[in-house]
Amino acid sequence: MRTWKRNLLAVPILLWIGLLVGIPMLLVVALSFLSRDHLGNIVYQFTLDNWRKVVDPIYLRVFWNSLLMALLTALITLLVGYPVAYITSNLSPRRRALSLGLIMLPFWISSLLRTYGWMILLGNAGVINNVLMALGLIERPLPMMYKFGTSLVGTAYMLLPFMIVAVFNSVDKLDRSLLEASYDLGASRWKTFFHITIPLTLPGIVGGFTLVFIPALGLYFVSDLLGGGNTVFLGNLIHTLATRGRNRPLAAAFSLGMVALALMVLAFYWKVTKDKTGEGLFQ
Amino acid sequence: MKRTSAVLFTVVVLVLAVSAVMSAAEITLMTWGGDFIPRVIIEEFEQETGIRVNYKEVTSNEDMQSLLEANPDQYDLLVTTDYMVDILRQNGMLEVLDKSKLPNYANINPLYLGKYYDPDSEYAIPYAVSISLLLVNHEEVEKLGAKPITTYSDLWQPELRNKVVVVDWSVEIMGIVLKSLGYDYNETDPEKVAQAREKLFALKPNIVRFETNTPEDSLINGEAVVGFMYSNQAVKGNAADPRLQPVFPTEGMPIFIDCWVMSKEAPNKDGAYQFLDFIMRPEIAARIADITKFTTPNKAAEPYLPDYYRNNPMLNLPDEVAANTSFYIGVDKVLEEYEHIYVEFKLR
Amino acid sequence: MRDKTSRFGVFYLSLFFVMLYLPVLSVVLYSFNASSSTAQWTGWSLEWYRQLFRDRTIGQAFRTSIQVAVLTAILSAVLGTFTAVVSMWVSARMKKALQGIMILPLIVPEVALGVSLLFFFNALRLPFGILTLVLSHSLFCVPYVYIMVRLRLAEIDASIIESALDLGASTWQMVRTIILPLVAPSIVTAALLCLAMSLDDVIISTYMSGPRSTTLPVHVFSMMRVGVTPKVNALCTLILVGTFFIIGVSQLITKKRRFAK
Repeated sequence: MRTWKRNLLAVPILLWIGLLVGIPMLLVVALSFLSRDHLGNIVYQFTLDNWRKVVDPIYLRVFWNSLLMALLTALITLLVGYPVAYITSNLSPRRRALSLGLIMLPFWISSLLRTYGWMILLGNAGVINNVLMALGLIERPLPMMYKFGTSLVGTAYMLLPFMIVAVFNSVDKLDRSLLEASYDLGASRWKTFFHITIPLTLPGIVGGFTLVFIPALGLYFVSDLLGGGNTVFLGNLIHTLATRGRNRPLAAAFSLGMVALALMVLAFYWKVTKDKTGEGLFQ
Repeated sequence: MKRTSAVLFTVVVLVLAVSAVMSAAEITLMTWGGDFIPRVIIEEFEQETGIRVNYKEVTSNEDMQSLLEANPDQYDLLVTTDYMVDILRQNGMLEVLDKSKLPNYANINPLYLGKYYDPDSEYAIPYAVSISLLLVNHEEVEKLGAKPITTYSDLWQPELRNKVVVVDWSVEIMGIVLKSLGYDYNETDPEKVAQAREKLFALKPNIVRFETNTPEDSLINGEAVVGFMYSNQAVKGNAADPRLQPVFPTEGMPIFIDCWVMSKEAPNKDGAYQFLDFIMRPEIAARIADITKFTTPNKAAEPYLPDYYRNNPMLNLPDEVAANTSFYIGVDKVLEEYEHIYVEFKLR
Repeated sequence: MRDKTSRFGVFYLSLFFVMLYLPVLSVVLYSFNASSSTAQWTGWSLEWYRQLFRDRTIGQAFRTSIQVAVLTAILSAVLGTFTAVVSMWVSARMKKALQGIMILPLIVPEVALGVSLLFFFNALRLPFGILTLVLSHSLFCVPYVYIMVRLRLAEIDASIIESALDLGASTWQMVRTIILPLVAPSIVTAALLCLAMSLDDVIISTYMSGPRSTTLPVHVFSMMRVGVTPKVNALCTLILVGTFFIIGVSQLITKKRRFAK
C-alpha cells in the first residue's frame, strides 16, 4: 500500500472525533469571548472580560490548588499502582486475569456511592474510628474528614485503575531476560529496577500520568463531599459558574484555562521523558 | 415456516399498534429524581387515566433548562425552582396555563401565588415550598459553653469552632452575613458588601463543612452542632434525632418555591392538564407532602395531613415565620462579586 | 508458567485489595442499614432490598446502563484498536494528527461536550436513547483503547510489518496473525476500563439519554437533592455478588480444564 492510501484509513477516525469533539471545543472557545444577559442567556457580543477575570489573583490560586491536587493524585496513583501492576504481571495467567478483574470491579459501582463509602469509613462516627476506639487505641474520634488529604485520597482512589492499567501494559511486555542478565552481571535488585525496569516501562508511566492527571483536574464532587467544600478547585468553580452562577461564558474561559493547564503540564512531562521513551506514546 | 412468519408478522404489527396507542397517551415530566414526585402517586395516575408517565431525571435546574431549550417538543411538564421559572418564562419557553382545565387550582394557597417569577400567576403552579433555617443541637451547644442560638449572629461565637455546617452557595452564605448585619439579601452597596466580606471571613474557623445535599447528616453524627440548611433536610435531621431542633433566625430567612410549569410546545397538553389537576387533589397533595417532606402550598390538603406534619413548624410554617421570609431577588446583579468573595473566603 | 511473585508481593497485593474494597464493603454494609441516612446505623434490615424489587425505575436504569456499557466497550475496542494499528503505518504527519485528536476527548470539558452533542444529534435527527448514549460514550472511551494498544504496539518494529507485507502477506493476514494476538490483552483490559467509565458517566449521559431512558448514575445523582436511598446500595450489592459469582464460576471452569489437560 502507498502511504497516501494508508493515510486514507485514518481519515474516518479523524473526522469522527474531530467533528464530534472538535466542534464543541471550538464552541467553548467562542463562548469564552461572548457576553451574557441578566438571565444567563448568551449574548453575541465580543468581550475580553471573561479572560480578564480568569487571571484575577484569587482565581489564579484556584488554578494552583488544582494543579497541586492533580500532580499529587498522579504521584500517589503511581506509587500505589506501579507495584500492583508489576506484581500482577508476574502472576500466572489465570491469577493475573483474576487480579485485573478484581481491580476493575469496584469501578462498576457508582463513584458517588464509593465516595459515600469513604465517608462511612472516615467519618467521626465512622467504621475506622469505631474500631480504633473499641480497641482502646484512641479515646476520641480522629478527625479525618473534610481535609485536603481526604479529597486527595478519594480522587486518587477514583483514578487508580487508569494508572494500573497503563503501567500494566508496559510492565507486561517487559523482556524478563534483560532483568536476568542484569542479575547475572551482579547488579542488585534495586539497581536493576531503577536502571532497567523503570526506563523500559516509562511509556506506561507517561501514559498513566496522562490518564490520571487530566481527569483529576475536573473531578468536583469527590472534593465537595470528602473535602467538605473547604477549598475551591477548578472543577467546582466551573460547575458552579455553569449552573447557579449563570455565567457560562466565564465557565468556558475557566474550562479553557483548565485545558491549557493540562496541556502545559503534559507538554513539559512529555518533553522530559521523550528521550527515554524512544518510540513513545506522544511525540 | 410460512405460518411462523405470519404469526411473527401479526405479533409485530400488534406490538407496533399497541405501542403507538401507548405513545399517544403518554406525558413526559422532567425534574430531580428520587421521590421528588413520588412513584406511587405516578402509578395511581397511570392506573386511573391510562396515560403513561415518563420521568426524566436530572440533577439541576440548569440541566432542565438546557434540555428543554434543545427539545421543547419532547417535554410536557417540569418542576423547577422559582428563579428558573423566571428565566424560562422570560425566555418564552412556557405555556400560559388554562385554569378552566384545572378545577383543583382553587386548592392552592393564594399566599404562594403571584410571586416575582410569575406576577400574574399565569405560568406556574407551586408544588413544594421550603425555607432555609438553622437546625441546632442545643444540648451540645451548651456543652461547648456557647450561648443559646437564636440568630445568625450567634454563629460567630468562638466556642463553635469547627462545629457549623452550611449549604454551599455564595448567595446564601453572603445572605446569612448580610442579614446578621441588618441588611437585605443581595445588597449591592459597595460599603455594605465590604463590611459583609470582612464579617464573612471571620466565620471561616467555625465552619466544618459546606454541604448542599445532606447537611443534616453532620448534625446526626455529631461533627456539627449547628447547621444552616433547607427545611426538608432539617425535617429529616429532626426525625433521625429529636434533640436537633429548628431555630428560625429572627433576622429573616430565604424561601424557595419549586413549581410545575408546562412547555410551550408540550406534545400532550391535555394529558399534562390531567396530571396537574390530579396532583392538586387535596388527598393526593397531602400524601405527596408526607413523602417528600416539603411544605405543601395546597391549602385544601391541610385536613388530610398527618398529625406529625401539622404539628411540625418546619413543615406547617407558622404565619410569623412565613411572613419573615424573602426570595433572593436580583441575584444576577451580585452573583459575580459574591462568587469572587466566596472563593477568597474558602481559600483562607 | 509458575508465579514468580515473592512473599512480599503477595502481601502487598493483598493489602492493596483490602484498601480497594473497604469503601465498597461500606456500601454493601449500609445496604442493610435500617436508616435511610449514612450518618447513622440504626440496625439491620432488608427493607431496601424489598423496595428495590418494587422499583421499576431503578431496574430499567440498570438495564439501560448495562446495554450502553457493553455496546460502548465493544465499539470503542474496535475503533480504538483500528486507530492504533493504522497509526503505525501512516505518514509522520498523519500520525501526529491522530495523536493530537486522541487527546482531544480527554481534555474537552464534559458539560461542553454534552450540550454540544445534544444540539448536534438533534440536527441529525437521531433519536435520543441507547444509540446516542453509545456514540457519545465511545467518544471518550476510544482514546483509552488507543493509548493502551499503542503502548503495547510501541515495541513492534515497523520494519517487521513492512517485510511481512513485502513477503506477500495481505494486510489483513498480517494484522490477524501478528498484531491482534500481541495486543489482545491490552484490548481486553482497555475494554474493561471502557465498561467502567461508561457505567459511571453522569454529565454526558444526562444530555444524551433523552426523555425516555435514564442510566443508573444519572438516576443516582438526580436523587441527591432528596437524598440517595440505600436502594441503590442494595442494587450495587447485588451487582457485586453477581459479578463475583461469575468470576468464581469462570475461575473454577478454567481450573477444571487445566486439570483435564
